[in-house]
Amino acid sequence: MKWQIDIEGTLSPLAILGAFFQKPNTIAYPTIKKTTATGYRGFHTNVLADCIGCANCQDVCMNDAIDMIKSDQEYNKKNASQCIPRIDYGRCCWCSLCTDVCPPDSLKLDEEYIGVSKHASDFIYMPKNK
Amino acid sequence: MEESIMNQTIKNKFASADIEIKRTDLSKVIISKERLFKLIAFVGKEYEYKILNAITCCDWIEEEHFALTYIMSTLDRKHTLMIQTMIGRKSATIDTLSLEFPQANIMERDLHEMYGIDFVGHPNLRELSLENWIHTPPLRREFDTLQFVNENLTFREGRDDNVDTKAEAKRLRAIKKAQKKAQDANT
Amino acid sequence: MQTPKHITIFHGPQHPGITGNMSVELDLMGETIQKATTHVGYLHRGFEKLIERRTVIQAFTIVCRICVPEPDPNEANFALAVEELAKMEVPVRAQYIRVLVLELSRLAAQFLWMAGQSGSIGLYAVGQWAIADRDLILDLFEELTGARVYHMYIYPGGVRRDLPEGFLQRVSKLMVYLKKRLKLYDDIFINNASFKNRAIGVGIIDASNALKQGFVGQVLRGCGIKADVRKDAPYLIYDKLEFEIPTQQAGDVYARALVRRAEMDQSIHILHQVIEQMPQGDIMLKMPTHRKFKLPKDDTWVKVESARGEFAYYMAGDGSEKIRRMQVRGPSLVHAYTLLEKLLVGAELSDVALIMNSLGICPPEIER
Repeated sequence: MKWQIDIEGTLSPLAILGAFFQKPNTIAYPTIKKTTATGYRGFHTNVLADCIGCANCQDVCMNDAIDMIKSDQEYNKKNASQCIPRIDYGRCCWCSLCTDVCPPDSLKLDEEYIGVSKHASDFIYMPKNK
Repeated sequence: MEESIMNQTIKNKFASADIEIKRTDLSKVIISKERLFKLIAFVGKEYEYKILNAITCCDWIEEEHFALTYIMSTLDRKHTLMIQTMIGRKSATIDTLSLEFPQANIMERDLHEMYGIDFVGHPNLRELSLENWIHTPPLRREFDTLQFVNENLTFREGRDDNVDTKAEAKRLRAIKKAQKKAQDANT
Repeated sequence: MQTPKHITIFHGPQHPGITGNMSVELDLMGETIQKATTHVGYLHRGFEKLIERRTVIQAFTIVCRICVPEPDPNEANFALAVEELAKMEVPVRAQYIRVLVLELSRLAAQFLWMAGQSGSIGLYAVGQWAIADRDLILDLFEELTGARVYHMYIYPGGVRRDLPEGFLQRVSKLMVYLKKRLKLYDDIFINNASFKNRAIGVGIIDASNALKQGFVGQVLRGCGIKADVRKDAPYLIYDKLEFEIPTQQAGDVYARALVRRAEMDQSIHILHQVIEQMPQGDIMLKMPTHRKFKLPKDDTWVKVESARGEFAYYMAGDGSEKIRRMQVRGPSLVHAYTLLEKLLVGAELSDVALIMNSLGICPPEIER
């Protein structure tokens, strides 16, 4: 391999200096928040007034991320089993098949997606009621 | 048009061959294990099927055989031929193709690891991605992933309160019914 | 052999110059490589086995994970195979949207390649710019599919969501912007003397045998063979679109870089056409629930063109709701073994990352 003199190839990368006059691509995160697109697949929400406890979401979830559990929160009168879904975010892959099969459309994915915790047990997540 | 001539020639020359046209650019031939390599050489020589794209394997455990499919393309890549042969599951052996096609070397090594197929004459049947694997070759149907996971891995704690919703709904209905009955009896 | 100059080292799996979780064992004499052995096994995730346990719809969520930089060809392949086995005809609008997604993801993957390739010779500024520009495409994906990397969007029977309002205009606007940016990349990266001097004449592939050995994508196009599934065996609506297959004759790293750079232009050209021709209509067939969707006992072979070459699936159904067998044939299996082991012999240690990046090796396709 020989090094050859290449004047054009040496000078043209100087175009990079133009970047000094451009706005940065990054955003200063904590002060400026990035807007998430509508329809982003983030954390789960579940409207308890609509949820009928059918366990369709549990059935379609191949990752076994969903447990149907008893809860002391108020539930829908049509909820025959009086159970509501709870999700293990160690297993969930946010494929949103569970929301596709939900008959009353109560289970949904929210735009919120940042969750920080010191405890691994917090990965087991109870969908917010909204 | 050329394709139908080819199919006719293959049928005449290899009486046992079974040809199926899948798409305009894809055909499938099923042939016995003994005549497989003759067919591969024949279509390579006469019809320019000279590229070996892949060797795939499918485990038909009910029928006691593996379906090995050699996928060959023409040099202009416009037509693909799937040449399928069945080999027994118990003593799965077949001759190697790695001398004619260098890429078969790694494909056969992969299949050897995943199915335990013995490729006779292969120069390098070492382990590929599974280190010190002592179980059944993993892609055989009798290898149960769920059982393997239950035996070898632990699960996250705090998820034991899962309720079987169908049983629970039944139980609640029974309770309600009993309550109603008791109420009716009272009144 | 055992002179003080002779040394065996592992390049990877923890090395910034390696493309994924794999390693190459190098026998060196001084700086020159005498023997290279590829090792995988650092990320065996067993997709092909997991798919055997899942119903078709459940398996759909897992296939995109086979290739991280470019998940959409996997989704498209899976959908095409299922549709062919189940004999479904996808609505035209869904096909156009699929091409839109596939081309956007090709463009994103090429930007990621540019970041890796420039990083492998120390031009880090290009890498960071390329990642920033790729993020603009990911923003569009976020809007369309609801996720940035694993889209899970191309569903058997169509696509999962319709285009949001004004989406096509935003794609069109971004393409104009990226076209302008690509000229800058030409200046600072492709025509850069330091890249040319490193890449020209390195990793030369012999054209006479390349096709027969099962190489695909830029490896073939870099040595003058016009191989592209989109032209050779058109899928979706690629036969209605106008585009060219760029080729180069030299067969070295630089030729492959030029091919990739020209393909980015072609992708932008295709996207403009797709936006113009986008028809109205349904985006999805009526699909049965996941326990009722059954595949007949049959098998097929489908392929699409990914950013790194032909990407093919073998799929066999067995009459039940589960897939009997799905085998992935990505570009990497042959490239990482047959090609890389041969190409590295005689090369220098500092060129390993350069050559690996130009081949586009992605270990998840080797250990599916």
